Amino acid sequence: MAKATTSIRRQLILMVATVLIVINVVALWSAHIYANRAAKESYDRLLYGSALQMAENINILDSQFFIDLPVSAFETLALSTSDRAFYSIMNGQYQVLTGYKDLPNIPFTQLLQQSSEKEKFIPIYYEAMYRGETVRFVALGKRLLEADSVNDVFIIVGQTLDARRAAATEISQMALQFVTLFFFITLLLLLFVIWRVLQPLQAIKQAITERSPQELSPLEANVPSEIAPLLKSINYFMAQLDNTLSRLKRFTAEAAHQIRTPLAGLNSQAQNALDETDEVLRQKQLQHILESSNVLTNTVNQLLSRATLTHRYQSHPFSPVSLDHVTKETCRELVVWALEQQVEIEYLGDIQVTINGDEFALKQMLQNIIENAIKYSPKGSVVEVELMVMDELSETSVVLQIRDQGIGVPDQDKEHIFEYFYRSPDNFASGSGIGLSIAKEVAEHHDARFHLKDNQPTGLIVEVIFPQRKGLSYES
Amino acid sequence: MKVSYVLGLCLILVSRMVFADAVQQTTYITFPSLNKPPKYQEDVLAIYGAINHQAISPLFKAYQEKYPNVAIHYTESNTRHLYEQFISQPNVRPDVMLSPAMDLQFKLANDGYALAYDSPELSNVPKDSHWRNELFGFTYEPIVTALNSDILAGEALPLSREQLLNLIRSKNHLLDDKIGLFDIQQSGLGYLAWAYDGQQSRSYGRLLEAFGTHQARLYTDTSSMLNALLKGQIFIAYNLVGAYSYQWSQKYAWIKTIMPTDYTTIIMRTAFIPRDAQQPTLAKRFIDLLLSPEGQHILANQSGITPISTKVKGPYSRDELSKLPHGIFRPIPLGLELLIQTDDAKKQLIYHEWDNAMFTVPNDSSALP
Repeated sequence: MAKATTSIRRQLILMVATVLIVINVVALWSAHIYANRAAKESYDRLLYGSALQMAENINILDSQFFIDLPVSAFETLALSTSDRAFYSIMNGQYQVLTGYKDLPNIPFTQLLQQSSEKEKFIPIYYEAMYRGETVRFVALGKRLLEADSVNDVFIIVGQTLDARRAAATEISQMALQFVTLFFFITLLLLLFVIWRVLQPLQAIKQAITERSPQELSPLEANVPSEIAPLLKSINYFMAQLDNTLSRLKRFTAEAAHQIRTPLAGLNSQAQNALDETDEVLRQKQLQHILESSNVLTNTVNQLLSRATLTHRYQSHPFSPVSLDHVTKETCRELVVWALEQQVEIEYLGDIQVTINGDEFALKQMLQNIIENAIKYSPKGSVVEVELMVMDELSETSVVLQIRDQGIGVPDQDKEHIFEYFYRSPDNFASGSGIGLSIAKEVAEHHDARFHLKDNQPTGLIVEVIFPQRKGLSYES
Repeated sequence: MKVSYVLGLCLILVSRMVFADAVQQTTYITFPSLNKPPKYQEDVLAIYGAINHQAISPLFKAYQEKYPNVAIHYTESNTRHLYEQFISQPNVRPDVMLSPAMDLQFKLANDGYALAYDSPELSNVPKDSHWRNELFGFTYEPIVTALNSDILAGEALPLSREQLLNLIRSKNHLLDDKIGLFDIQQSGLGYLAWAYDGQQSRSYGRLLEAFGTHQARLYTDTSSMLNALLKGQIFIAYNLVGAYSYQWSQKYAWIKTIMPTDYTTIIMRTAFIPRDAQQPTLAKRFIDLLLSPEGQHILANQSGITPISTKVKGPYSRDELSKLPHGIFRPIPLGLELLIQTDDAKKQLIYHEWDNAMFTVPNDSSALP
């Protein structure tokens, strides 16, 4: 039995879940980045706002700095309730005018550059460790104009990062909640979709399970176009099975019948022989019993050989077989028996052919065909066996013909002759009736065509045509 | 003057040491542990505070009842002096620092001197009464005006700053040298209250002018100002801590305490544990007690200081406070806003204004209407 690969449902769920997880992780990651940036920007603005308010209240009068910091600047900072804040206001010589005197990493070069360029001051943001904590600073310059001089002051405001972190965490957590919800809803929807899509397969399985083992009529189910071929294959297979099964039934019934009839004959002949007093007649009757027994043996042998062949088909791979050699050998084996029937076998053809096939089966085929030909040949006639190469429509094939000079087979019987146990109504020769059907099966197993033709003036030609294909080689 | 000299002598007897500078009196008091004799080496909890030791001692007692093996060394001084000592002597820092000068306390916390402590008792007090789990507000005290009713001479009690100005104008020279103020350059609390007035009120400038014209006397602490009021050295004391003033009003009927009805400034006394405290665990227990319903109850009932908690009952509870006539309560926010009060430039501006008003001898009385 074929090993079941991973279920489609599980694969689908796995893939869907993987894709979803990847999407969600990417979404979360972007949300996290966004949250950090948003928090950073909004709190940077507060910091900048505070610095601007301080700058607003720094003035110069008679070269004296006049600094009156507004409460609002500190109230702006106090919006981050749990953060420390530090500030410093310096003159152009970096002397601290008010505020913290030891702020770290002040970007003097940049401030000085902005100062010397006489452009508008732009805020410089930077982070530094101060008093044991990471602090985000903004440095801003302000140009103070007097009649005869220009003085720059620098405002540095910094704040610790707690509020930023809290804000970023809050946004991230909201994103996490949303993404989690989204994940589960999508997963549920997709699971439903998967269930819905796989429903027809389930239905087919259900339909098959519910059937009785004998019921082999086609399945009727409405399935999507993707599943339809499967259903078609199942139905085709079931039709095949039905066919095989009925053939087997018929074969079994026929076989039983074929064996019972000779047995019954044997029985009555033996009875007669027992009752017979005339020694000459009894001898004759015993002869009949022997003949009937031979027929029966033959039939049983054929049945067995067919069973063997059927088994071989399934278990033996092909190998190169020398067809001419097998044919000659078979003829040689049968020639003695033929002579007893006062029939000659003549092998024609001088080619050597090798095909890919089953030697045993091919021999059985030849044997059956030649025996059949001999059986139906009148005494003193010749059965011709010929192996030849035929070129036809640019296709080269090997043709095997077995010709007899018997009465032949009427056209209406030709199509039935391969059926098991078929015996022509006008046929009086002894025979099992399955020899040719076995031969045909072997031929078909080797992809060969099996034909019946009429011989001239009378008789039957059995023709087996092996098509050209890989493995076939010959030489004249 | 003689009286204050005698008082000074008494303080020498009580304390082990008094600074030569009369302005910065520092009192050291030891509360020995309750274990007598101590079975093993006793622990010492060092506290710096600007709270009158009589007011805070019930709390110490309660603490020692819980932890009988702990002795408390209490150093009482003026707020600015405590701050400066804290900064200048990093080797002898206390375990707990208590002060009503919110700006100075905040500055220390902001500058990273405070130890973060997530006290379980924080749930008992309002959310805005602590900052970063480092600085804990534990009282809720109005800044009041006290006056000797003798000066009224039958006139109505001035309830607002405007009415106070009118009174000063009408009494004119009677009040020369008779108005008491905190010396904002010496007292942290005085500076805080005065600077906050500057942010709040339009009457600030006129008050300063009136105080200057009448050569207001300057004091460094509430007690000496109240003493002066009691003895008739001054008639009006502006921006006092409510708790002490109310106590005196109860004792001496002629001393009236007023919460100005235009607005009433509210300050919080704050506590923090310095990062380099010797006994952080003992200090944390003290903070827990301070904020606990028990500690808050002691403040409202025994110390005579209004506690921060709104749930506590007692003669000095917030409930009782709000029953007295008052203006809009304006609590000074415990946050970064306080940094402005510590800004040097701002301080120089305020000192400059103050000095101009106080130390300029008025050329004539016509300056007053």
